[in-house]
Amino acid sequence: MEIAERHIPVKKTVLPYYLTAAACLVIISLMVLFTVKDFDGHFFQPHLLAITHLTVFGWGTMVILGASNQLMPVIADKKLYSERLPVAVFLFLVAGTCLLVHSFWSFELTWPIFVGAFSILTSLVLHSINIFVTVKRSSVKNIIIDFIMTAHLWLIVTALIGITLLFNFRFGFLPVDHLHYLKVHASIGMAGWFLLLIIGVSSRLVPMFLLSRKEVKIFLTIAYYLINAGLIFFLIEGMVLRSNNGYRWYISLIVAGILCYLFYIRQCYKSAIRKKIDSGMKVTFVAIGSICLPGIIMIAYLLHSRGAPVSMITAYGYSFFGGFITTLIMGQTFKTLPFIIWIHLTKPDRLQELQPKDLYNEHLVMLQLGLYLPGFLLFLSGILIHSPYLMYPGCVMMIVASVIYCAHSVHVVFHLKNERYKNY
Amino acid sequence: MKDIKITDPCYDEKARLLQLLSLVRDPELELNIVDLGLIYEIEIDKDKKLAEITMTLSTPACPAGDYIKGGVDLMAREACPGFEIRINLTFEPQWSADHISEAGRQELGW
Repeated sequence: MEIAERHIPVKKTVLPYYLTAAACLVIISLMVLFTVKDFDGHFFQPHLLAITHLTVFGWGTMVILGASNQLMPVIADKKLYSERLPVAVFLFLVAGTCLLVHSFWSFELTWPIFVGAFSILTSLVLHSINIFVTVKRSSVKNIIIDFIMTAHLWLIVTALIGITLLFNFRFGFLPVDHLHYLKVHASIGMAGWFLLLIIGVSSRLVPMFLLSRKEVKIFLTIAYYLINAGLIFFLIEGMVLRSNNGYRWYISLIVAGILCYLFYIRQCYKSAIRKKIDSGMKVTFVAIGSICLPGIIMIAYLLHSRGAPVSMITAYGYSFFGGFITTLIMGQTFKTLPFIIWIHLTKPDRLQELQPKDLYNEHLVMLQLGLYLPGFLLFLSGILIHSPYLMYPGCVMMIVASVIYCAHSVHVVFHLKNERYKNY
Repeated sequence: MKDIKITDPCYDEKARLLQLLSLVRDPELELNIVDLGLIYEIEIDKDKKLAEITMTLSTPACPAGDYIKGGVDLMAREACPGFEIRINLTFEPQWSADHISEAGRQELGW
């Protein structure tokens, strides 16, 4: 039987994404430091829009697209359809993100922001085509692939709503308040793209890394249908009916779906043969646990009897991207990146003394978490109680953590250039 | 992998091969491939000078598949010099964490 070297994508389809995302994380941390006061005001303002879009495209989506170019061939048991498309996707995404973020930051709604938005849409469509065709050519069909494919569809829907909002900024043609559509755009992106994709990929990686003996996949299937049903109701109500009457239903569906996923992960952990988990998985579990935080803030916001403070919405968004997404990526980077580099360093015709774990430093990963997590919690508390005395130290801790993360990622990748490893 | 019987005429060769195969590690799962249960069967025919290893991978698309198979080939050549080495890759039965040996489980902290 043929095996999988043919499934390993070339470096340029993966590594530029990881390195750019790492650089973006440092830039985001610095931008947050210079806009601490903005976090105390309304969430709908230029600097926060710029930071959010850099976080979404430059950090979260950037690293996810790179990682999916590496992981899809493993999940679908098929070589990536095209290894040229990821290069185009990367260039469109970088150019589009720069234009979009700069335009939001200076709040210039002229041609660069539209060029940027369409450039990003092009990159997302090209990436989705590459993933869809790869999966279509594969004989593997399972719920994990369904999660990943559906997440890509929601990503395109999110981007289309975003572009519609941009035109609405300029020409004001939508029938109700702009903030109403912004809520739909943000929520579909968070639950439809990030959450579904992360559930899909982690459902494959967590049992694999833990060596779980029991995977209760029925919970994944239930989670898939609950979350998607919630999203469809939300999309119809938000875009077509333009009301907020059914929010209890679709939030309940999505929360129930997340609980099913958490139950699946719990079963994987309970049946795991590997009990000694490394730093990457420890950070990952912290991230999976932190998914509850935006949920709690959201529920508290909805239960608030007399118009909840707007800072709760800022805190909700920040806890999703700054907490769940960032912590998860920080952990998974040091599960995936060293392995990707190892694959390119080693040759099949010799016994490997070098292992992926030799390419990164476990202590640095834990130090990064030890700085990031308290920093994030301080910053989040600062948003909620309007205290710059909590936000500034939190921000500094997150900057240090992001610099460590960035330098560590570069160090891992630069093993490829190290003469010492050329003979492996 | 079934235990090698002491009465097996190729006991020494098989035991040596198994010992050398345990130097090959799965880089993702960080355990040697023998304790991981990736080696299903070893057949040695001294007359035909043939060593045949039936093995699997943790997943058909395992990105480290070539490296593991390369390591098995290398170790088999060292254990059985002058023998033809045949490596049969199978996914029947499919590998699962239940295949991990007691020693492997202890190493993983189970």
